[in-house]
Amino acid sequence: MPWTPKTTTPVLTKRIPCAPHGDPKNRHIVRYDEYVRTGGYEGLRKALTMAPDAVVAEVKDCGLRGRGGAGFPTGLKWTFLPKHDPANPQPRYLAINADESEPGTFKDRLLLDFDPHLLLEGIAIACYACRLTKAYIYIRGEYHHQAMVLEEAIKEAYAHGVFGPQGLLSGASNAGGEKWSVECHVHRGAGAYICGEETALLESLEGKRGWPRIKPPFPAVKGLFGRPTIINNVETLAHLPSIIENGKQWFLNQGVQGSAGTKLFGVSGHVNKPGLFEFDLGIPLSTLVNQYCGGMRHGKKFKGAIAGGISTGILGPDQFDAEMDFGIGPKYNVLGLGTACPTIFDEDTDMVVVARNLARFFKHESCGQCTPCREGSGWLYQLMTRIERGEGRTKDLDLALEISTSMGAMPGTTICGLADGNNWAVRTIINKYRDEFESRVRPTFVAVTVGAG
Amino acid sequence: MAWLTKNSGTAKIARRDEPYVTAAIKDHITRTYLPRYETKQGALLPTLHAVQEEWGWLPHQALIEVAEFLGLKPADVIDCASFYEEYWLRPKGEHIIWVCRSIACEVCDHKSILDACQAKLGIEPGETTDDGKFTLMEVECLGSCGTAPVALVDHTLHENLTAEKMIKAIDDAGRHGH
Repeated sequence: MPWTPKTTTPVLTKRIPCAPHGDPKNRHIVRYDEYVRTGGYEGLRKALTMAPDAVVAEVKDCGLRGRGGAGFPTGLKWTFLPKHDPANPQPRYLAINADESEPGTFKDRLLLDFDPHLLLEGIAIACYACRLTKAYIYIRGEYHHQAMVLEEAIKEAYAHGVFGPQGLLSGASNAGGEKWSVECHVHRGAGAYICGEETALLESLEGKRGWPRIKPPFPAVKGLFGRPTIINNVETLAHLPSIIENGKQWFLNQGVQGSAGTKLFGVSGHVNKPGLFEFDLGIPLSTLVNQYCGGMRHGKKFKGAIAGGISTGILGPDQFDAEMDFGIGPKYNVLGLGTACPTIFDEDTDMVVVARNLARFFKHESCGQCTPCREGSGWLYQLMTRIERGEGRTKDLDLALEISTSMGAMPGTTICGLADGNNWAVRTIINKYRDEFESRVRPTFVAVTVGAG
Repeated sequence: MAWLTKNSGTAKIARRDEPYVTAAIKDHITRTYLPRYETKQGALLPTLHAVQEEWGWLPHQALIEVAEFLGLKPADVIDCASFYEEYWLRPKGEHIIWVCRSIACEVCDHKSILDACQAKLGIEPGETTDDGKFTLMEVECLGSCGTAPVALVDHTLHENLTAEKMIKAIDDAGRHGH
């Protein structure tokens, strides 16, 4: 049965033309005036008429799962915060993860580039609901332009009573029972993939090297500067205004069971029209490619695809019809949906080169804190390079598989999930394209004539 | 690799009288960034960005001055600065060309872009031209995989590159430079 979209009007990309709803050529930065004219900050206004706990409950019940990669339920994360005590107010923080550096992923860039107020409205709603006092947008260092766009949008938001002491749409009575104000700042990173890991992000915000922290304590209890902290992805927060405005049922009606809502899909690689699209979760990859990306480039055959950012692993040649939702992991033997930004490979792609590229990335970005990851990622890269050059032995393949099933996979051997992402990337490629690797390695044992003694 | 450090225990560090952390930088950080964070160390990344923006890179003396300014130990500052790829602890060219080498760009022929840069500038990735104008770098994902191959020239992203477009971008950067 062909897939049909449930959501016919874009939600996140309402103001950013994306195919098939609009022409990407017409994209422009949406400033405060235009944002408000097109229904902006209505979600925040509605949230302010609700009790903060009611907002949290709404987000919890709507089934919104984090869009940053792990897919953790957003509302549930919020409930881990200790209760706000009006008699003894403490700083509590929101850290927004805009450190988009997963290869293949370019979805948050679009939101930051063109519709920054959508994120700011989401931030305001989250801070109001969770009683957070300050928000830091951690944006990767390479996003110079986006940081500038954000800084300007934040200035506008301060001037129009969203943030600051005169903020949260000043004067409007809110149902929180006390006057609430939120500060919002941009914090630029300096080129480190690991800072997208939530606790490394906090370390970096504190002015330290981005080394992930051991959990527990979890950030919701003891996070930035030792205070309760929530960390959410840009796209997750951008969903909040429309959820609050339209209610949980509206959101639940989109997508599929267990994966409610729409999602940004960024398709790259060997397709005719790569780009960013917004669809209900659950769209099959083949539909995405054939119907919306103009099919495979030069009419070639599909060979494989990175499921959603390289840490998730690869979808094999027979998994073109994989449904892009949070259930993709166990069903198709990949880590998960990740960022839902697939990179497509055609039949001419050398999978050994792909494996080498991914291994190099993880070796380069391993922060060096845990030995299995620091050493294992280097080993994997060396093995992949050797196999690519045609100098590999059969035992190299076995060793690569052994490393990529053990490094960091045993609980407690590494602090964060980077090694596991490395594992999934390399292991799934070797397993799903085993013959390609085997044809590139020389047998370890060479037949010899044994002289009779 | 971000985790490799150099043994500088016995290194002689040349000092000059003119400070790298100028009064203007101190003023800017004190007004804008220090109030944002609970600790002074929180303002370390913005301070390093500001100093690098001014001088193009972060000399050793600058790191020590940053430490004095923020009330940190020099080791704290060096520990942080040496971790991040974008902080330059050695002089770099006036313009930096970052060519993306991650998966989407590699399968969309990033090699022709890199080759064009190398042929044009006569340097390998990681090197700076003799006249100090350009530094060529390979970088991991620039977050624009839908328009691969891409490269960042200073602060501007160039998308859907071909070898010709890349060379033009380098020429333009050289012309509009100082």
